[in-house]
Amino acid sequence: MGMTLDFSILLRFTDALAIGLWTTIKLTLLCIVLGTSLGFVIGLLRSSGNAFVRGLLGLYVELFRGTPVLIQLFWIFFCLPLILGVEFSNFVSATIALTLYMGAITSETFRASLRSVGREQMDACVALGLPRAAQIMNVILPQAVLRAVPTLLSNAVSLFKESALVSAVGMADLMFIGQNISNNTARPVEVLTVVAGIYFVIAFPLTRAVTVVEQKLLRKFSA
Amino acid sequence: MDYTLDLGAVTRNMGPLMDGLWVTLQLTLAANVIGVIAGFALALLTTSKLALLRWPSMLFVEFFRCTPAIVQIVWFFYCVPMIFNVFWGPVFMGIVALGLNLTAFNAEAYRASIQAVPREHLDAGIALGLSPTQRILNIVLPQALRNSVPVLLTNGIGIFQQSALVAIVGVADLMYQGKTLATATYRPIETFTVVALIYLAISYPVGQFVNWLERRQSHS
Repeated sequence: MGMTLDFSILLRFTDALAIGLWTTIKLTLLCIVLGTSLGFVIGLLRSSGNAFVRGLLGLYVELFRGTPVLIQLFWIFFCLPLILGVEFSNFVSATIALTLYMGAITSETFRASLRSVGREQMDACVALGLPRAAQIMNVILPQAVLRAVPTLLSNAVSLFKESALVSAVGMADLMFIGQNISNNTARPVEVLTVVAGIYFVIAFPLTRAVTVVEQKLLRKFSA
Repeated sequence: MDYTLDLGAVTRNMGPLMDGLWVTLQLTLAANVIGVIAGFALALLTTSKLALLRWPSMLFVEFFRCTPAIVQIVWFFYCVPMIFNVFWGPVFMGIVALGLNLTAFNAEAYRASIQAVPREHLDAGIALGLSPTQRILNIVLPQALRNSVPVLLTNGIGIFQQSALVAIVGVADLMYQGKTLATATYRPIETFTVVALIYLAISYPVGQFVNWLERRQSHS
């Protein structure tokens, strides 16, 4: 190969990359909190609620699970302002888009874990004469939430990675700043490799942690 | 809203959208062929007893699992031609980039089902005097393949959705044609909605099929 690598050029851009990374982290954390809360409510409503509400929420979930996140972002960035007649900042648009996406996948996680709580537990509640509210709050929910934890964590790591898509709609996250530096310096190999490395250094330990939590919970449930 | 919907802008331009869809389907199918085959080979490597085979293959898997797909695609399109001095067509580049990503995810799916093959089956294979190759091909492969089908399909449809990322590096797929059309006609709502529905119309049935398959497998 007829090229020499020079990673030292990146030293000039550490501040810019740090600002981009901070935006990525802020956006990811905010959307994890908002999206998980949304997903929890939707998961509960889809497991009980009336048929109309269930149908409507089902449609929402399938729309966001069945289409590319990229087109969801484009839709929220370019169509939502036209429909509502209001302009949003990039950060607000990205937050809406990623929260709706996270809400959809997380609601499925909660729904699956609600269903995984055994039928005999409900029977036991009835036999003990527990009121409906206590059945849900004290028996079903704590178990369901605990079972959902590993998948919720891995959803959160996924969101961290998906957040890089906001660069495609012009938001100055880590990926966007990385691409700018790469174009301005004409050093894509060094710059993009370092950007990938930064994502990796954060996502890899988190992925490992998810596996550890999962194994711990599995042991707990099998005991 | 001061925006009147006009689906005509989209219906008059279905030609380019269908061309884009065709590219998207080609990307998806070819990446899946790579992912299903190379994924199994990679899974065998990650479960190998030899550290020299195991470590590089695990690094490969973790790299693809722990970085954003968009970073992988952009890296691939910019850096591979520079590093290896090769110039492939954009669709072929897209196929290889998506195929490598899918290979890593499928390897994880296969690895889980390879490890789920009961130890006794391999012992039985040894007792019957089967060679290691025979044990892999006749005992491990059929079971691992059958058990991983739902995850392979889920990953496959995942790559169908991820394939939209190649629009960012200029491959004329469905997403790219949609973007171009939305800009040219000033009709983002109609265009992006129709494009999203086309993606949904393909991934939804496959998702339902996977659900059905999973239910059937958990019953048997």
